[in-house]
Amino acid sequence: MHVLLCASMTSIAQNIYGTVTDCANHQTLAGVFVRIAGTHTGTSSGNDGKYAITGLKADIYTVEFSCIGMKSVRKEVRVEGSQDSQLNICMEATQEKLDEVSVEAKSPVQRLRESSYNVIAVDTRALQNTSLNLSHALDRVSGVKIRETGGVGSSSHISLNGFSGRHVKLFMDGMPMESFGTSFRLNNIPVHLAERIEVYKGVVPIELGGDALGGAINIITGQSRRTSVDASFSYGSFNTYKANIDVIYSARNGFFVRLNAYQNYSDNSYKVKTRLLTFHADGSSNYSREDYWFRRFHDNYHNEAVVVNTGVAKKKWADRLQFKFTYSREKQDIQHANLMKIVYGGRERRAQSIIPALSYEKRNLFVPNLNLRLSANYSLARNNNIDTLARQYNWQGEYRTKSFKGEGQYTMGEYDNRSMSVSAGINYRLNERHLFAFNNLYSSFNRRATDAVANSETTTAATFMRRTNAKNVLGLSYRFEPSKIWNASAFIKRYDVTVRGPINISTNTTTVVYEEQQRSFGTNGYGIAATVHPSAAWQLKTSFEKAYRLPSETELFGDESLETGDAGLRPENSLNLNVNISYEHTFAKVHTIVCDAGLIYRDTRDYIRRQIEQRYGGAFYTNHGQVRNYGVDIEARYFYKKMFSLGGNVTYQDIRNMERYSATGRELIYYRDRMPNVPYLFGNADANLQINDCFRRGNVLSFGYNMRYVHSFFRDWASEGGDIIIPKQLSHDLNILYSLRNGRYNIAVEALNITNEILYDNYSLQKPGRSFMVKLRYFFRNRDIQPN
Amino acid sequence: MITNCKRLLLTLFTGIILCVPVVTFISCKNDPSIPERQGAFFISATGETTQYILRTDNPESGVMSIADNVKTLELSGYTWIFNSNPSVAVGLIYQQGDPGIGLGYVLNDDGSLYEAGQFLITSRFTSYGFFDRYALTSVGGQTPVDAQGNALTDTAGNARADGVTFNFIDLNNGFTLQEKTITTLNITGNGEQATFSGIVDIGDGEFLTSLVVSKPKDPNAGGGSSSGTITYPDSVWVAAFDASLNLKRLYRDDRISYSSGRFRSQYYAQMAKVDNGDVYVFSGSYESATTRPAGALRIKRGATTFDASYYFNIEEKTEGYRFRKVWHIAGDCFLLELYNDIVPTATGVATQYGVVDVAGKTFKWVTGIPAKDKITATGLPTVADGKIYFPIAAEASDPAIYIIDPATASATKGLSIAGATSINAIGKLTH
Repeated sequence: MHVLLCASMTSIAQNIYGTVTDCANHQTLAGVFVRIAGTHTGTSSGNDGKYAITGLKADIYTVEFSCIGMKSVRKEVRVEGSQDSQLNICMEATQEKLDEVSVEAKSPVQRLRESSYNVIAVDTRALQNTSLNLSHALDRVSGVKIRETGGVGSSSHISLNGFSGRHVKLFMDGMPMESFGTSFRLNNIPVHLAERIEVYKGVVPIELGGDALGGAINIITGQSRRTSVDASFSYGSFNTYKANIDVIYSARNGFFVRLNAYQNYSDNSYKVKTRLLTFHADGSSNYSREDYWFRRFHDNYHNEAVVVNTGVAKKKWADRLQFKFTYSREKQDIQHANLMKIVYGGRERRAQSIIPALSYEKRNLFVPNLNLRLSANYSLARNNNIDTLARQYNWQGEYRTKSFKGEGQYTMGEYDNRSMSVSAGINYRLNERHLFAFNNLYSSFNRRATDAVANSETTTAATFMRRTNAKNVLGLSYRFEPSKIWNASAFIKRYDVTVRGPINISTNTTTVVYEEQQRSFGTNGYGIAATVHPSAAWQLKTSFEKAYRLPSETELFGDESLETGDAGLRPENSLNLNVNISYEHTFAKVHTIVCDAGLIYRDTRDYIRRQIEQRYGGAFYTNHGQVRNYGVDIEARYFYKKMFSLGGNVTYQDIRNMERYSATGRELIYYRDRMPNVPYLFGNADANLQINDCFRRGNVLSFGYNMRYVHSFFRDWASEGGDIIIPKQLSHDLNILYSLRNGRYNIAVEALNITNEILYDNYSLQKPGRSFMVKLRYFFRNRDIQPN
Repeated sequence: MITNCKRLLLTLFTGIILCVPVVTFISCKNDPSIPERQGAFFISATGETTQYILRTDNPESGVMSIADNVKTLELSGYTWIFNSNPSVAVGLIYQQGDPGIGLGYVLNDDGSLYEAGQFLITSRFTSYGFFDRYALTSVGGQTPVDAQGNALTDTAGNARADGVTFNFIDLNNGFTLQEKTITTLNITGNGEQATFSGIVDIGDGEFLTSLVVSKPKDPNAGGGSSSGTITYPDSVWVAAFDASLNLKRLYRDDRISYSSGRFRSQYYAQMAKVDNGDVYVFSGSYESATTRPAGALRIKRGATTFDASYYFNIEEKTEGYRFRKVWHIAGDCFLLELYNDIVPTATGVATQYGVVDVAGKTFKWVTGIPAKDKITATGLPTVADGKIYFPIAAEASDPAIYIIDPATASATKGLSIAGATSINAIGKLTH
C-alpha cells in the first residue's frame, strides 16, 4: 500500500484543461497520462493533444504529465472558485525508458520497480491481445518458472527462485488466494482480469500477510475508473475457444459497477507419444515395448467465471467502498495419471466457488495522513471427483469392462472448503520522512468431505470430521525517506496458527477412537529493505527477511489414522537476501537500454518432512534439512523509439542440499547436490516490432516473438545415479497484431510452439505441440476518468 | 523372443531336475547336495524417495553405492516378489487412487537384468504370491459389478464392497495381466464377507488363501482396511480355489485366530508351504478380541481339513510377543516378525525377529541384527542356499543385507548399500 495524499476539499467542482505538445517539434502529443500528483485522479490526452481533468475542488494541485519516451513534467496550478484553469505544457524526450509497452508512464508498475523490494511487476495490459492466462504471464518473469502438466486447464505449479507449493503464497488484491478453489486460480484466469501482477522475491512487505517463506505473488485486478467495454473472442487449435467481456460503468457521483465474465473451453486434443496398453483376446493386457503417437481423447476442459464489483468512491465517509462477488466453476476430464501411459476415459473433476468480498478505504481518517483499508472475504469452494466406470481404457480409446467400479478408485467424492479472510491495514505518514504501517490478516479455513462411495482405503471416520485452521499474521513497518536519493524500511511480523481436528487416541490396534483436539503455534519474523539512487540512471537495492512457514494441520496432527503429529515442530524458516542493481539510459534520444541484475541468497532450514520409520510404526513429521540457494536473475532490454524492442532474461540458481546427514543419522550421498526436479537454468527472450499509423492513422501493426528456454534437469538426486531427466525445452511463439482506430478493434494471430517441439515441464507429462489462435477484441474506453 | 523361449525351456528343464523328490530335511538344516544355478541377485533399494534396481553377484559382503544402480524406476514404492521357476522378479505397485505400472524382470544370458514386460495394475493388492504360471495378487473390499458395469447393491440399495479382485500376471506370456473379481458375501455360510490373505500354490491347479471373515464393512467406519467387525475372532478359515476362482473347499478351525498380519490396509501373509507340500497356517493373534494365543496349525498335503494332531502355541515360546509377518526359510523353519510390545500398540511397531521350527516346535530370537529400537526399515527377505537374506536399515548406518543362518538364528552383516534409505527387496534370479 502506498500513501496517497488527498487534496483538501471544498465545495465547487472545477476543471484543469490544456494541450500537451512535444518541445522538440511542437506537435501535439496523444496518449499522455495526466494526473493530479499522488492521486488516482487523471486522464490522458486525446489525438489532438488536449486533455481535461474534471470535478476538482478549489485548491493548489500538482499536475503530473507522463508518457513513454518523454520526460515527466510536474506543474503546479491553482484552481479557484469559479474558473477552469488552463495548463499547456510541452514535453521532452526522456532519459528514462519504461517496461515493455507500459501505457501509463509513472504507472504503479514503475513505482514498484523503484521500491526497495525485489519485486517485479508485470503489466498485463500489454498482454490483453493474447490468449494467455495469468500463469503464462508469470512464466516470463525472471526467477519464475511455471510447470504445466498439459494443455488448457491443466494444473500448473509455480517455482519462484526454486521455492514452490506452500512456500510461495498467492494473493489477489492483497487477500490470500489459496482458498479460492481450483476453479479460480492462476492457470484458468485470463490475463484480462488483472491489471498487473506483482512478484515479490523472498522478501514480502507486511501488506501481504502470509507465511510466505519463499516469496509472494499479488494479482491486482485494478479499480474501475473509466466507463469502458472490453470484449474478445478467440478460437484456435484443439477446438479451443476463449471468450471474455469486461464492462465498467463509472458515474460522476462516484458510483461504479464492473462486470467481468469469461469462458475458456478446449478439447486439448493434441498428440502425445507414449506406450499402448494392448488388449489380448483372453481378456489380459500388457504394454507395448515401443512408443506411438496418439491423440488425446478425454481431456475436455472448460471453466466459466463472473466477477461483479460495485460500490462508491470519493465520498466523505469512504474513499472507496466496494462489494465484489465472484462465481467460478470448471469441469475437467482426466486423461491420464501421473504417468501418461496410465490412461483414463471417464474420470472427471468438477469444482466451483463462490467468493463474496467487501473492501473499504478511507484516507485521512480522523487526522490527516492516517489511512485505513479494510477487506474481508468468504469463500465456499466445492470439488467433486468422479470415477465410476468399471472400465479400463487404452490410448486408442478402446476399453475393456472391468470387474469392479472405478478406473482408478471408485469415487463420487465431494469436498467443501470454507474459508474467511479479514485484513486491516493502517498507515500513517508523520511527515515526508517517516511512514508507519500496520497490517493484520486473519484467515480461517475448514474442510469437510462427503463421499458416498469412496473406497475404504482412503476414508476414515475422521475424514468426515471437522478440520479447521486459523491463522493470524500481524505486521508492523517503518519507512525512513531522508531524501530522494535513498530510503529504507524495517518490518516485523507475528505469525500465529491454531488448528482443530480429529486425532486417533486409541491405544488398541483394531479400533480407532477419534477425538477433536486443538493445537496452537506462533513465531516472529523480521526484515529490512533499502534503496539508493546514486544517479538518474542507476539504482541499487537490497532487502532481507527472516521468513517462516508455519506447520499445517496435517503436520501438527498427522493424517489422523495412525500417523502421529508433533506439537514440538518448529516452523520452516529461511534467511532470504536480495541485492539488485539496475541501469536505465537513453542514448541519442532514440536508443534506450534497461538492465537489471539481481543476486539472491536463500538459506532454508527445518523443512517439515514426513518420515516413516518401522521402529516407530507409522509415519510422523519432523524438522530436517537445509537448502542453500545462490541465484542470479538478469534482465536486459533495448528499445528503439516506440518502434522496436528486444529483451530477455536469464535465471540461474544454484540450489543445493546442505544437510549432510539423514534424520536417522546416516551420511547422505546427495550432500551438496543440486535440488532434484527443480529447473535451475532458464530464460525468455522476446522481440517486438510496432508499425504505427499502418495503412491508416491510428492503426498499428505489430509483430512479436517469444522464446522460452529451460535447461534439462534431473528428476532425482544426481548423486544417486539415476537416469531420468526432464529434457531441455526450447520453444518459439510468434504473434501478429493489427489494431485499428487507436486500439478499438484488434485482430491477433498467435502461433505457439511453432517448431512443434515435444515439450515436458514434468517427467512423462507431455505438453501441446504447435498450435494457432486467432483473437478478435473490441475495446472502448471513455476518455474521462471519473473522480474516484 | 527366441532367446526368451530358450531360457524358459532351460529354466523349466532345470526346474524339473530340481523338483525330483528331495530327501527328508532334518529341522532347519539345508541340504548342501542341491547345486545352485548360475544367477545374480536383484536388489531394489530406495534413495531419498526414488526407487532403483541394483544387481550383484555377491550379497554376502562389501559395499555398493546406490549410484551403482542399473535402473531408475518411474514410480516408487514397488513390492518385489521373486519366483524360481520361471526365474523372474515381479514388481507390483498401486498408487493411491491411480493404477500402477507393474514390471517383470529376468536375467539375460549375459547375466544382465532385463525388463521383460510392463503391465497395468488397476486394483490395489494386499496379498501376493505365485500360483501355477502366474504371479497372483488379491485385494478385498471392492465394489463388484454386473456385466453392464453397474454396481451390485445390498438389500438397502447401497453398493456392495465384498468383492475380492485377483490379478493373474502370466509369467510365461509377456507379463500380461488379467483381473478377475469374485464376491465373498456368505462365503463361510454365516452371512459374513471375507478379505483374503496369503497365496500358497498346493499343486494340482489349486491354491490356498486364508480368510479374514467379518461383517460387511460400515461405509462410514473407515480405518483403512477392508474388514468390518470381526464376529469370530477365535476362528480361522482357509479356502482352496482353482485357477478359475471356483471355491473348491473351506478349512475351518477354532484353535487359532485368523491367519493374517493386518497393518493399516494391509493383510500380510501368515501361511506357507514346506518342501513336502504341507502348509503351515500361522496366526499372529492380531485381533484384540481373540482369546487364542499366537500359534500355527497344519494342513497336510492333499488333506481337506486341518491336521487335528498338530498345534503349535508359539506365543508361549516368545515370552508373549505376537507376530505380524511370516516367511518360510528352509526345511521346517520360518522367520517371524514380532511386535515390539506384548500388547501391540496402535502404530503396530514390529522390529523384532525370530526363527521357529514348526517340526521341533522351537523358537529362537534372531541375533546379530541391529537392536529393535534402531531399525528404521526392513525389506522383503529372500532365501537362497538355505540361508535367509534379509534387508535391514538401521539408525546412523547404510542399510545392509543380513544373512541369517536358520539353524542358529544368528545373523551376519553382508552387503551394504551406501546412499540408500532402505533396501526394499532382494531376490536371486537365474538364467
